[in-house]
Amino acid sequence: MESNQNRGASGTEMAIFNDLGVKTRESRVAVVAAGVISPLGFGLDETVASLRANKDCISPVTRFDVGKCRCKTAGQISDENLHQRGNGVKPDRLHRATRMMTAVFEDLFREDLQFRPELTVIGTTSGGMSFGEDYYRALYRHGSLRHSARWIANYPPQKPVIDAQHALGISAPCQVIANACASGTNAIGHAFECVRSGKYQRVLTGGYDTLSELVFVGFDSLQAATPEKCRPFDRDRSGMVLGEGAAVLALENLETARARGACILAEIIGYGISTDNHHLTQPDPSGSGPRRAMEQALESANRSADEVDYINAHGTATTFNDAAEGKAIAKLFAKVPVSSTKSMIGHSLGAAGAIEAVICLGALKAQFLPPNINFRNPDADLDLNIVANQARDARIDIVLSNSFGFGGTNASILIQKLAA
Amino acid sequence: MNLRIAGMGWVTPLGRGIDPVWNRLIRGEEATAEPISDQISDKSYCAFRIPSEALKDLPPNPRLRRASAISRFAAAAGVDALADAKSTIGEIDVQRMALVFAASNGGVIYTKRFYHNVVEAGAQSASPLLFPETVFNAPASHLAAILGIEGASYTLVGDGAVGVLAMKMAIDLLNNELFDFCLVVGAEEADWLLCDAYHKWRLLKNEPPIDLFHKPPRGMILSEGAGAVLLAREGTVQIDEVDAGGNFSQRREANGIVRRILHDLADQDACIVASANGTFIDLAERAAIEKELPGAIVYSPKSALGESVGASAVWQIIAAAQALRTKRLPQMLHSDPEIALSFPTIDEIPGRRAIVLSCGLNQQVAGLRLSI
Repeated sequence: MESNQNRGASGTEMAIFNDLGVKTRESRVAVVAAGVISPLGFGLDETVASLRANKDCISPVTRFDVGKCRCKTAGQISDENLHQRGNGVKPDRLHRATRMMTAVFEDLFREDLQFRPELTVIGTTSGGMSFGEDYYRALYRHGSLRHSARWIANYPPQKPVIDAQHALGISAPCQVIANACASGTNAIGHAFECVRSGKYQRVLTGGYDTLSELVFVGFDSLQAATPEKCRPFDRDRSGMVLGEGAAVLALENLETARARGACILAEIIGYGISTDNHHLTQPDPSGSGPRRAMEQALESANRSADEVDYINAHGTATTFNDAAEGKAIAKLFAKVPVSSTKSMIGHSLGAAGAIEAVICLGALKAQFLPPNINFRNPDADLDLNIVANQARDARIDIVLSNSFGFGGTNASILIQKLAA
Repeated sequence: MNLRIAGMGWVTPLGRGIDPVWNRLIRGEEATAEPISDQISDKSYCAFRIPSEALKDLPPNPRLRRASAISRFAAAAGVDALADAKSTIGEIDVQRMALVFAASNGGVIYTKRFYHNVVEAGAQSASPLLFPETVFNAPASHLAAILGIEGASYTLVGDGAVGVLAMKMAIDLLNNELFDFCLVVGAEEADWLLCDAYHKWRLLKNEPPIDLFHKPPRGMILSEGAGAVLLAREGTVQIDEVDAGGNFSQRREANGIVRRILHDLADQDACIVASANGTFIDLAERAAIEKELPGAIVYSPKSALGESVGASAVWQIIAAAQALRTKRLPQMLHSDPEIALSFPTIDEIPGRRAIVLSCGLNQQVAGLRLSI
């Protein structure tokens, strides 16, 4: 029995909860603004332009010594680009991640000055690990620890988020999700559920990660990183390259967003999350974990697989991930165009899902399919329709974005173009 | 939404098991500090560690064979909370259970060992066995595998307030018809490196006792362990309200946020389980309590158990729930009679509500209120 009708501040009808407190009707969730910085560029327009130009943004690693690693490249954001967006603070005093977060927050709030979140949900994998590295190296070498206070202060993963909020005058509580490589999509998915439930009107969400030596060497030690080009879903794929960046999305109850005349970029319509207990670092080869996440996203959106027009795959280009994800996609979707934009920018871990969600927003806005570059030979075991090497124009209304990570975390979100 | 605590478990420096540890706290016992050292330095610190016998009956599981200490603590507390809930509300369908794991520093022991090898011998000597255990969500992954959770599993990272933020997330998750239960686990492992960092940050004390609410603050002692609570729609203790709070940029701003939270959660008969740990947090909480609820009985488990960061707020929640269930609060150890706060006595506590305040060392503040 429906007993308790909640109403938002504007009087808009919200979720309805029954006697057990379970929601029986849901709010629609709009994306009203977004900010992004990645090796593709800064902001949605630059990002779309680079995607359309099939830009390969992978370059030799410059931030630390990779001489003893198999892989020597990554998708990096130049310090020059980042320092231009430092809010007037001396570059060496700010966490690179703080610079990134501040830049994407500014980008987002430029689009929507009125957006004031009640909650911020951000994904990351390594947080301020580079500061921990500096601290440990100084200890090991019995070197100067005069910067130790700054290193310690910048280590916590919530620091860049809180600092960026502070720079923009926002004081929303922060939940920082560290679900490995699925963190960004998990953050967006949870934020989506929060708004959809009617308990929140506006939630800020996204993800960030900067390149760190420890993480780079870690993936190299697992032989998950490649010394060659990153070739997702290719027969000859040999591994991932790492990347970095940040992206944020402003989610708002669709009705309240419309009521205040906000620009609506798209609508998030579904979210799926699953946990694959097969192994800490390897997916169940059957692809059951990714499949459950995608099925749940479709179910949550009340959509069928044949309504999906494009899939931005997790597509790390490791043997195991692409095999599991590819099988799951092939089983659920009939020849839907698929690409992994990690081929262009690398895998930015906790930021990846957020950056890829913004890429999906760009694809919906500009009506094109982002490319899967470096693709040479199809994998005979994977029956996929890869958007090989060239971006192409297409009519797309619904896109799916996947992120899967260590620990068996799988997340999928469905984004829909809103009819004019 | 009517949500309750259906089961609890904790692994602390005073042992494992809700009632055994609670009884020791009520008897006025405190953990014994152990020296903690590292090959990298001659300097040693002290910390409250988990006694080895606390984990001896943890069921063997392949996932725990190489797992870090934090994963073992989380597993023990999580398994215990589930067993406790089963005895209270009956069978639990794990397919309808979400997991929210909270940590601050995560698997710092393996992370340090992994990076030490890289610094000492180069990237080629990095261990592919250690690296996966350095990832923040490794403990949650192990716990999900042990319990058979295949749905939602989230790892939240933050400071000492992260446990309350995890409770907030759990409540939001239980808004989804997919879930009937949510297991919230907070855990942390102590390591020399953390002690060194907190020492350099001038937050650490060389040795016990821990003097809480003292002005000026005298420092904290780091500890380790885990706490777990299972949220459900049935159970003995109700979650009245969770306030996800806010963030401070400067320490002096912490008091304002604590005070706002306390004002919003205030109930004249409520006792307060505070996060005071011997640092600047104490003064922020003390000033807020003096203003907002000056007569409330105030307790912090950190005088006996130390500061376990990612686990600490869940320990506080368990202490608050136990206070409501048993109508008792342990005495505040080493309390200064000059401090104008009401500390617990041997008498029964009045009221049926308890407020948990959680002010972290790294900018986050949150709180919640329980009732029975």
